[in-house]
Amino acid sequence: MNSAIQPSADWEIGSLKLSMEVVCSMAVNSLRQRIGRAVLTLLTITTATAFMMYLLTMPRSTDPVDIQSWRLMMILSLVVSGAGVLNTMLMSVTQRYREIGTMKCLGALDSFILYSVLLEAAILGLVGAFAGAVAGLIISILLALADHGGEVFQAMEIANLPGKLVFVFLVGMALTTLGALFPAFIASKMPPMDAMRGEK
Amino acid sequence: MDDTVEYTVMTRDVVKVYRMGDTEVRALDGVDVTIRTGEYISIMGPSGSGKTTLFNAIGGLMKPTSGNVFIDEIDVAQLDANELAWLRCRKIGYIFQSYNIVKVMTALENVTLPMLFGGVPPDEAQDRAVEILTRVGLGDRILHTPKELSGGQQQRVAIARAFANQPAIILADEPTANLDIHTGEEIIELMKEMNRERGVTVICSTHDHKMLDISDRIVWMRDGKVQKIANRADVDIEINTMKEKH
Repeated sequence: MNSAIQPSADWEIGSLKLSMEVVCSMAVNSLRQRIGRAVLTLLTITTATAFMMYLLTMPRSTDPVDIQSWRLMMILSLVVSGAGVLNTMLMSVTQRYREIGTMKCLGALDSFILYSVLLEAAILGLVGAFAGAVAGLIISILLALADHGGEVFQAMEIANLPGKLVFVFLVGMALTTLGALFPAFIASKMPPMDAMRGEK
Repeated sequence: MDDTVEYTVMTRDVVKVYRMGDTEVRALDGVDVTIRTGEYISIMGPSGSGKTTLFNAIGGLMKPTSGNVFIDEIDVAQLDANELAWLRCRKIGYIFQSYNIVKVMTALENVTLPMLFGGVPPDEAQDRAVEILTRVGLGDRILHTPKELSGGQQQRVAIARAFANQPAIILADEPTANLDIHTGEEIIELMKEMNRERGVTVICSTHDHKMLDISDRIVWMRDGKVQKIANRADVDIEINTMKEKH
Protein backbone atom coordinates (compact mmCIF):
# COMPACT_ATOMS: atom_id res chain seq x y z
CA MET A 1 0.00 0.00 0.00
CA ASN A 2 1.51 3.31 -0.94
CA SER A 3 -1.24 5.56 0.23
CA ALA A 4 -0.16 9.02 1.21
CA ILE A 5 -0.63 10.03 4.78
CA GLN A 6 -1.44 13.62 5.35
CA PRO A 7 -2.85 15.75 8.11
CA SER A 8 -6.58 16.29 7.94
CA ALA A 9 -6.75 19.93 8.68
CA ASP A 10 -4.63 22.98 8.37
CA TRP A 11 -4.59 25.19 11.42
CA GLU A 12 -2.17 27.13 13.49
CA ILE A 13 -1.55 26.78 17.13
CA GLY A 14 -3.09 29.69 18.99
CA SER A 15 -2.43 31.15 22.35
CA LEU A 16 -4.62 31.72 25.34
CA LYS A 17 -4.97 35.04 27.09
CA LEU A 18 -5.28 35.28 30.81
CA SER A 19 -8.57 36.91 31.69
CA MET A 20 -8.36 38.62 35.07
CA GLU A 21 -12.14 38.74 35.07
CA VAL A 22 -12.31 34.93 35.03
CA VAL A 23 -9.51 34.74 37.64
CA CYS A 24 -11.48 37.04 39.97
CA SER A 25 -14.80 35.28 39.55
CA MET A 26 -13.10 31.91 40.01
CA ALA A 27 -11.33 32.99 43.21
CA VAL A 28 -14.49 34.49 44.72
CA ASN A 29 -16.54 31.47 43.68
CA SER A 30 -14.03 29.06 45.13
CA LEU A 31 -14.09 30.90 48.47
CA ARG A 32 -17.88 30.92 48.50
CA GLN A 33 -18.15 27.25 47.66
CA ARG A 34 -15.62 26.27 50.29
CA ILE A 35 -16.89 28.67 52.90
CA GLY A 36 -16.23 26.28 55.80
CA ARG A 37 -12.56 26.01 54.99
CA ALA A 38 -12.35 29.74 54.26
CA VAL A 39 -13.73 30.56 57.72
CA LEU A 40 -11.24 28.20 59.32
CA THR A 41 -8.35 29.78 57.43
CA LEU A 42 -9.66 33.24 58.35
CA LEU A 43 -9.76 32.23 61.99
CA THR A 44 -6.10 31.19 61.90
CA ILE A 45 -5.04 34.40 60.20
CA THR A 46 -7.15 36.55 62.52
CA THR A 47 -5.92 34.95 65.73
CA ALA A 48 -2.31 35.07 64.63
CA THR A 49 -2.53 38.72 63.63
CA ALA A 50 -4.46 39.67 66.75
CA PHE A 51 -1.80 38.08 68.92
CA MET A 52 0.92 39.99 67.12
CA MET A 53 -1.01 43.24 67.42
CA TYR A 54 -1.61 42.70 71.11
CA LEU A 55 2.06 42.08 71.80
CA LEU A 56 3.06 45.11 69.80
CA THR A 57 0.66 47.54 71.48
CA MET A 58 0.44 46.36 75.07
CA PRO A 59 1.89 48.80 77.58
CA ARG A 60 5.41 47.74 78.38
CA SER A 61 7.59 48.32 81.39
CA THR A 62 11.02 49.76 80.77
CA ASP A 63 12.72 47.08 82.81
CA PRO A 64 15.46 45.58 80.57
CA VAL A 65 14.54 42.05 81.64
CA ASP A 66 10.93 42.64 80.63
CA ILE A 67 12.00 44.12 77.32
CA GLN A 68 14.16 41.11 76.69
CA SER A 69 11.31 38.68 77.31
CA TRP A 70 8.94 40.85 75.26
CA ARG A 71 11.29 40.64 72.29
CA LEU A 72 11.39 36.90 72.67
CA MET A 73 7.58 36.78 72.77
CA MET A 74 7.40 38.95 69.66
CA ILE A 75 9.72 36.67 67.73
CA LEU A 76 7.84 33.62 68.94
CA SER A 77 4.52 35.12 67.90
CA LEU A 78 5.88 35.80 64.43
CA VAL A 79 7.17 32.25 64.11
CA VAL A 80 4.01 30.66 65.48
CA SER A 81 1.57 32.74 63.44
CA GLY A 82 3.81 32.49 60.40
CA ALA A 83 3.97 28.71 60.61
CA GLY A 84 0.23 28.49 61.35
CA VAL A 85 -0.84 30.59 58.41
CA LEU A 86 1.69 28.96 56.10
CA ASN A 87 0.52 25.51 57.07
CA THR A 88 -3.12 26.38 56.57
CA MET A 89 -2.49 27.81 53.11
CA LEU A 90 -0.27 24.86 52.19
CA MET A 91 -3.02 22.44 53.17
CA SER A 92 -5.73 24.26 51.30
CA VAL A 93 -3.69 24.27 48.09
CA THR A 94 -2.32 20.72 48.28
CA GLN A 95 -5.83 19.41 48.86
CA ARG A 96 -6.73 20.84 45.51
CA TYR A 97 -3.97 19.37 43.37
CA ARG A 98 -6.44 17.06 41.68
CA GLU A 99 -8.80 19.90 40.86
CA ILE A 100 -5.89 21.97 39.61
CA GLY A 101 -4.74 19.10 37.40
CA THR A 102 -8.22 18.77 35.96
CA MET A 103 -8.33 22.48 35.23
CA LYS A 104 -5.00 22.28 33.45
CA CYS A 105 -6.38 19.48 31.28
CA LEU A 106 -9.24 21.77 30.36
CA GLY A 107 -6.81 24.43 29.21
CA ALA A 108 -6.08 26.50 32.29
CA LEU A 109 -2.84 28.43 31.94
CA ASP A 110 -0.15 28.10 34.59
CA SER A 111 -0.60 31.78 35.31
CA PHE A 112 -4.34 31.27 35.74
CA ILE A 113 -3.76 28.68 38.47
CA LEU A 114 -1.11 30.82 40.13
CA TYR A 115 -3.15 34.03 40.13
CA SER A 116 -6.44 32.52 41.17
CA VAL A 117 -4.86 30.75 44.16
CA LEU A 118 -2.91 33.87 45.11
CA LEU A 119 -5.97 36.08 44.77
CA GLU A 120 -7.93 33.76 47.01
CA ALA A 121 -5.17 33.91 49.61
CA ALA A 122 -4.94 37.68 49.28
CA ILE A 123 -8.68 38.08 49.90
CA LEU A 124 -8.43 35.86 52.98
CA GLY A 125 -5.32 37.75 54.08
CA LEU A 126 -7.01 41.13 53.60
CA VAL A 127 -10.04 40.24 55.68
CA GLY A 128 -8.19 38.14 58.26
CA ALA A 129 -5.28 40.50 58.82
CA PHE A 130 -7.56 43.52 59.09
CA ALA A 131 -9.91 41.81 61.53
CA GLY A 132 -6.94 40.46 63.49
CA ALA A 133 -5.16 43.80 63.75
CA VAL A 134 -8.32 45.54 64.94
CA ALA A 135 -9.23 42.75 67.35
CA GLY A 136 -5.70 42.69 68.76
CA LEU A 137 -5.82 46.45 69.32
CA ILE A 138 -9.20 46.26 71.08
CA ILE A 139 -8.00 43.48 73.37
CA SER A 140 -4.84 45.42 74.07
CA ILE A 141 -6.82 48.58 74.95
CA LEU A 142 -9.27 46.71 77.15
CA LEU A 143 -6.52 44.97 79.10
CA ALA A 144 -4.55 48.20 79.44
CA LEU A 145 -7.68 49.99 80.59
CA ALA A 146 -7.99 47.53 83.44
CA ASP A 147 -4.37 48.17 84.46
CA HIS A 148 -3.89 51.84 83.81
CA GLY A 149 -7.41 53.28 83.91
CA GLY A 150 -7.60 56.80 82.42
CA GLU A 151 -3.94 56.93 81.49
CA VAL A 152 -4.32 54.05 79.07
CA PHE A 153 -3.41 55.99 75.95
CA GLN A 154 -0.24 57.48 77.38
CA ALA A 155 0.81 53.99 78.44
CA MET A 156 0.20 52.65 74.94
CA GLU A 157 1.95 55.49 73.10
CA ILE A 158 -1.13 56.47 71.13
CA ALA A 159 0.82 58.31 68.42
CA ASN A 160 2.37 55.04 67.30
CA LEU A 161 -0.87 53.07 67.13
CA PRO A 162 -1.88 53.79 63.50
CA GLY A 163 1.60 52.85 62.34
CA LYS A 164 1.51 49.60 64.28
CA LEU A 165 -1.95 48.83 62.95
CA VAL A 166 -0.76 49.18 59.37
CA PHE A 167 2.43 47.24 60.08
CA VAL A 168 0.65 44.26 61.62
CA PHE A 169 -1.96 44.28 58.86
CA LEU A 170 0.76 44.17 56.21
CA VAL A 171 2.67 41.41 57.99
CA GLY A 172 -0.51 39.33 58.29
CA MET A 173 -1.30 39.82 54.62
CA ALA A 174 2.23 39.07 53.51
CA LEU A 175 2.34 35.87 55.54
CA THR A 176 -0.92 34.65 54.01
CA THR A 177 0.06 35.43 50.45
CA LEU A 178 3.55 34.03 50.86
CA GLY A 179 2.08 30.92 52.44
CA ALA A 180 0.04 30.40 49.29
CA LEU A 181 2.77 31.47 46.88
CA PHE A 182 4.97 28.42 47.24
CA PRO A 183 2.32 25.67 46.85
CA ALA A 184 0.51 27.72 44.18
CA PHE A 185 3.71 27.98 42.19
CA ILE A 186 4.41 24.26 42.52
CA ALA A 187 0.84 23.41 41.54
CA SER A 188 0.83 25.72 38.54
CA LYS A 189 4.02 24.17 37.13
CA MET A 190 3.02 20.56 37.74
CA PRO A 191 2.27 18.38 34.71
CA PRO A 192 -1.52 17.89 34.69
CA MET A 193 -1.38 14.12 35.11
CA ASP A 194 0.89 14.31 38.16
CA ALA A 195 -1.32 16.97 39.67
CA MET A 196 -4.36 14.80 39.16
CA ARG A 197 -2.73 11.91 40.91
CA GLY A 198 -1.97 14.32 43.73
CA GLU A 199 1.76 13.82 43.46
CA LYS A 200 4.37 16.49 43.81
CA MET B 1 -3.92 1.79 -3.78
CA ASP B 2 -3.06 5.40 -3.44
CA ASP B 3 -5.91 6.95 -1.55
CA THR B 4 -4.92 9.62 0.82
CA VAL B 5 -5.37 8.80 4.45
CA GLU B 6 -6.23 11.86 6.44
CA TYR B 7 -4.96 11.58 9.95
CA THR B 8 -5.59 13.61 13.03
CA VAL B 9 -3.05 11.95 15.28
CA MET B 10 0.20 10.35 14.23
CA THR B 11 2.87 9.01 16.54
CA ARG B 12 6.34 8.15 15.32
CA ASP B 13 8.56 5.86 17.35
CA VAL B 14 7.34 7.22 20.66
CA VAL B 15 9.37 6.03 23.62
CA LYS B 16 8.72 6.83 27.24
CA VAL B 17 11.15 5.66 29.87
CA TYR B 18 10.43 5.93 33.57
CA ARG B 19 13.12 5.52 36.15
CA MET B 20 12.13 3.53 39.16
CA GLY B 21 15.11 3.48 41.43
CA ASP B 22 17.82 1.67 39.51
CA THR B 23 15.57 0.04 36.95
CA GLU B 24 14.32 1.60 33.76
CA VAL B 25 10.77 0.94 32.72
CA ARG B 26 9.97 1.41 29.06
CA ALA B 27 6.31 2.32 29.34
CA LEU B 28 6.23 3.04 25.62
CA ASP B 29 8.72 1.27 23.40
CA GLY B 30 8.52 2.69 19.91
CA VAL B 31 4.85 3.26 19.23
CA ASP B 32 3.70 4.09 15.70
CA VAL B 33 0.03 4.70 15.21
CA THR B 34 -1.85 6.78 12.71
CA ILE B 35 -5.34 7.73 13.69
CA ARG B 36 -7.70 8.83 10.97
CA THR B 37 -9.93 11.83 11.20
CA GLY B 38 -13.36 11.08 12.59
CA GLU B 39 -12.67 7.50 13.55
CA TYR B 40 -13.50 5.83 16.83
CA ILE B 41 -10.46 3.96 17.94
CA SER B 42 -10.12 1.79 21.01
CA ILE B 43 -6.84 1.04 22.68
CA MET B 44 -6.90 -2.28 24.46
CA GLY B 45 -4.36 -4.08 26.55
CA PRO B 46 -3.68 -5.33 30.04
CA SER B 47 -2.82 -2.83 32.78
CA GLY B 48 0.76 -1.75 32.52
CA SER B 49 0.76 -2.19 28.75
CA GLY B 50 1.27 1.51 28.20
CA LYS B 51 -2.29 2.51 27.29
CA THR B 52 -2.47 5.40 29.69
CA THR B 53 1.05 6.56 28.86
CA LEU B 54 0.17 6.64 25.17
CA PHE B 55 -3.01 8.48 26.03
CA ASN B 56 -1.02 11.06 27.99
CA ALA B 57 1.52 11.46 25.21
CA ILE B 58 -1.18 12.08 22.61
CA GLY B 59 -2.97 14.48 24.92
CA GLY B 60 0.13 16.57 25.53
CA LEU B 61 -0.06 15.68 29.21
CA MET B 62 3.52 14.46 29.33
CA LYS B 63 6.56 14.66 27.11
CA PRO B 64 7.83 11.42 25.54
CA THR B 65 11.49 10.52 26.11
CA SER B 66 11.93 10.37 22.34
CA GLY B 67 9.82 10.25 19.20
CA ASN B 68 7.12 12.56 17.95
CA VAL B 69 3.42 12.99 18.42
CA PHE B 70 1.67 14.95 15.72
CA ILE B 71 -1.78 16.42 16.04
CA ASP B 72 -2.46 17.28 12.42
CA GLU B 73 0.74 19.08 11.45
CA ILE B 74 1.67 20.17 14.92
CA ASP B 75 4.44 18.33 16.75
CA VAL B 76 3.24 18.31 20.34
CA ALA B 77 6.78 17.99 21.74
CA GLN B 78 7.74 21.35 20.23
CA LEU B 79 5.05 23.30 22.04
CA ASP B 80 5.65 25.57 25.00
CA ALA B 81 3.42 25.67 28.08
CA ASN B 82 1.00 28.25 26.70
CA GLU B 83 0.64 26.48 23.36
CA LEU B 84 0.05 23.18 25.15
CA ALA B 85 -2.67 24.85 27.21
CA TRP B 86 -4.25 26.10 24.00
CA LEU B 87 -4.07 22.64 22.47
CA ARG B 88 -5.68 21.07 25.54
CA CYS B 89 -8.30 23.75 25.61
CA ARG B 90 -9.33 23.94 21.98
CA LYS B 91 -8.30 20.77 20.20
CA ILE B 92 -8.62 17.99 22.76
CA GLY B 93 -11.37 16.94 25.14
CA TYR B 94 -10.51 14.62 28.01
CA ILE B 95 -12.71 12.05 29.67
CA PHE B 96 -11.36 10.18 32.70
CA GLN B 97 -12.09 6.95 34.47
CA SER B 98 -12.84 8.82 37.68
CA TYR B 99 -14.85 11.59 35.95
CA ASN B 100 -12.75 14.37 37.52
CA ILE B 101 -15.63 16.73 37.87
CA VAL B 102 -14.66 19.74 39.96
CA LYS B 103 -16.44 18.90 43.20
CA VAL B 104 -17.34 22.36 44.37
CA MET B 105 -18.91 23.35 41.06
CA THR B 106 -22.29 22.63 39.53
CA ALA B 107 -22.62 20.64 36.30
CA LEU B 108 -23.16 23.92 34.47
CA GLU B 109 -20.04 25.54 35.92
CA ASN B 110 -17.98 22.45 35.10
CA VAL B 111 -19.03 22.58 31.46
CA THR B 112 -18.43 26.34 31.16
CA LEU B 113 -14.86 26.00 32.52
CA PRO B 114 -13.06 25.03 29.30
CA MET B 115 -14.99 27.69 27.39
CA LEU B 116 -14.01 30.38 29.89
CA PHE B 117 -10.38 29.26 29.63
CA GLY B 118 -10.72 29.48 25.87
CA GLY B 119 -11.97 33.06 26.00
CA VAL B 120 -15.66 32.50 25.29
CA PRO B 121 -17.70 35.33 26.90
CA PRO B 122 -19.41 34.04 30.10
CA ASP B 123 -22.99 34.52 28.84
CA GLU B 124 -22.33 32.65 25.63
CA ALA B 125 -20.43 29.93 27.51
CA GLN B 126 -23.42 29.47 29.78
CA ASP B 127 -25.87 29.17 26.89
CA ARG B 128 -23.67 26.65 25.13
CA ALA B 129 -23.20 24.67 28.34
CA VAL B 130 -26.96 24.42 28.87
CA GLU B 131 -27.38 23.28 25.29
CA ILE B 132 -24.76 20.56 25.48
CA LEU B 133 -25.85 19.36 28.94
CA THR B 134 -29.33 19.00 27.49
CA ARG B 135 -27.83 17.02 24.63
CA VAL B 136 -26.22 14.52 26.99
CA GLY B 137 -29.51 14.12 28.86
CA LEU B 138 -28.87 16.28 31.91
CA GLY B 139 -31.09 19.22 30.98
CA ASP B 140 -32.91 18.98 34.28
CA ARG B 141 -29.78 18.68 36.39
CA ILE B 142 -27.61 21.56 35.26
CA LEU B 143 -27.44 23.15 38.72
CA HIS B 144 -26.62 19.94 40.56
CA THR B 145 -23.20 19.42 42.13
CA PRO B 146 -21.32 16.11 41.68
CA LYS B 147 -22.50 14.99 45.13
CA GLU B 148 -26.07 15.02 43.83
CA LEU B 149 -25.24 13.10 40.66
CA SER B 150 -24.70 9.38 40.08
CA GLY B 151 -21.51 8.05 38.52
CA GLY B 152 -23.14 7.78 35.11
CA GLN B 153 -24.47 11.30 35.35
CA GLN B 154 -21.07 12.62 36.40
CA GLN B 155 -19.52 10.91 33.39
CA ARG B 156 -22.17 12.60 31.23
CA VAL B 157 -21.09 15.96 32.66
CA ALA B 158 -17.50 15.01 31.80
CA ILE B 159 -18.55 14.17 28.23
CA ALA B 160 -20.41 17.47 27.90
CA ARG B 161 -17.35 19.25 29.26
CA ALA B 162 -15.01 17.43 26.88
CA PHE B 163 -17.15 18.42 23.88
CA ALA B 164 -17.72 22.02 25.05
CA ASN B 165 -15.01 23.68 22.98
CA GLN B 166 -15.79 21.63 19.85
CA PRO B 167 -12.48 19.77 19.97
CA ALA B 168 -11.05 17.74 17.10
CA ILE B 169 -10.11 14.83 19.35
CA ILE B 170 -11.69 13.22 22.38
CA LEU B 171 -9.34 11.24 24.58
CA ALA B 172 -11.14 8.90 26.93
CA ASP B 173 -9.18 6.90 29.51
CA GLU B 174 -11.25 3.89 30.59
CA PRO B 175 -14.46 5.94 30.74
CA THR B 176 -16.63 3.01 31.77
CA ALA B 177 -14.34 1.30 34.26
CA ASN B 178 -16.09 2.74 37.31
CA LEU B 179 -19.62 2.19 36.03
CA ASP B 180 -21.99 -0.75 36.14
CA ILE B 181 -22.58 -2.62 32.88
CA HIS B 182 -25.85 -0.93 31.99
CA THR B 183 -24.62 2.62 32.69
CA GLY B 184 -21.37 1.82 30.91
CA GLU B 185 -23.32 0.84 27.80
CA GLU B 186 -25.23 4.11 27.90
CA ILE B 187 -21.99 6.07 28.16
CA ILE B 188 -20.44 4.12 25.26
CA GLU B 189 -23.55 4.74 23.19
CA LEU B 190 -23.48 8.45 23.99
CA MET B 191 -19.81 8.73 23.03
CA LYS B 192 -20.48 6.96 19.74
CA GLU B 193 -23.42 9.25 18.99
CA MET B 194 -21.33 12.34 19.68
CA ASN B 195 -18.56 10.90 17.51
CA ARG B 196 -20.98 10.43 14.60
CA GLU B 197 -22.85 13.70 15.05
CA ARG B 198 -19.83 15.91 15.34
CA GLY B 199 -17.24 14.02 13.32
CA VAL B 200 -14.89 14.14 16.28
CA THR B 201 -12.06 11.62 16.45
CA VAL B 202 -12.45 9.50 19.58
CA ILE B 203 -9.52 7.68 21.13
CA CYS B 204 -10.56 5.49 23.97
CA SER B 205 -8.47 3.24 26.16
CA THR B 206 -10.51 0.45 27.60
CA HIS B 207 -10.77 -3.01 29.10
CA ASP B 208 -14.38 -3.15 28.10
CA HIS B 209 -15.16 -5.62 25.30
CA LYS B 210 -18.47 -3.91 24.60
CA MET B 211 -16.42 -0.98 23.40
CA LEU B 212 -15.12 -3.11 20.52
CA ASP B 213 -18.55 -3.26 18.95
CA ILE B 214 -18.70 0.42 18.22
CA SER B 215 -15.04 1.03 17.43
CA ASP B 216 -13.86 1.53 13.87
CA ARG B 217 -10.46 0.14 14.71
CA ILE B 218 -8.83 -1.46 17.69
CA VAL B 219 -5.23 -1.11 18.78
CA TRP B 220 -3.83 -3.84 21.03
CA MET B 221 -0.93 -2.90 23.21
CA ARG B 222 1.45 -5.07 25.15
CA ASP B 223 4.64 -4.15 27.01
CA GLY B 224 4.72 -0.66 25.60
CA LYS B 225 4.40 -1.81 22.00
CA VAL B 226 1.59 -1.95 19.54
CA GLN B 227 0.87 -5.63 19.19
CA LYS B 228 -1.60 -5.27 16.36
CA ILE B 229 -4.14 -2.95 14.87
CA ALA B 230 -7.34 -4.39 13.49
CA ASN B 231 -10.45 -3.17 11.78
CA ARG B 232 -13.73 -3.77 13.49
CA ALA B 233 -14.89 -6.22 10.83
CA ASP B 234 -11.81 -8.43 11.14
CA VAL B 235 -12.17 -8.56 14.89
CA ASP B 236 -15.62 -10.08 14.55
CA ILE B 237 -14.12 -13.01 12.70
CA GLU B 238 -11.46 -13.39 15.32
CA ILE B 239 -13.90 -13.35 18.20
CA ASN B 240 -16.00 -15.93 16.37
CA THR B 241 -13.03 -18.22 15.82
CA MET B 242 -12.12 -17.77 19.46
CA LYS B 243 -15.61 -18.79 20.41
CA GLU B 244 -15.47 -21.79 18.10
CA LYS B 245 -12.27 -22.96 19.67
CA HIS B 246 -13.87 -22.98 23.09
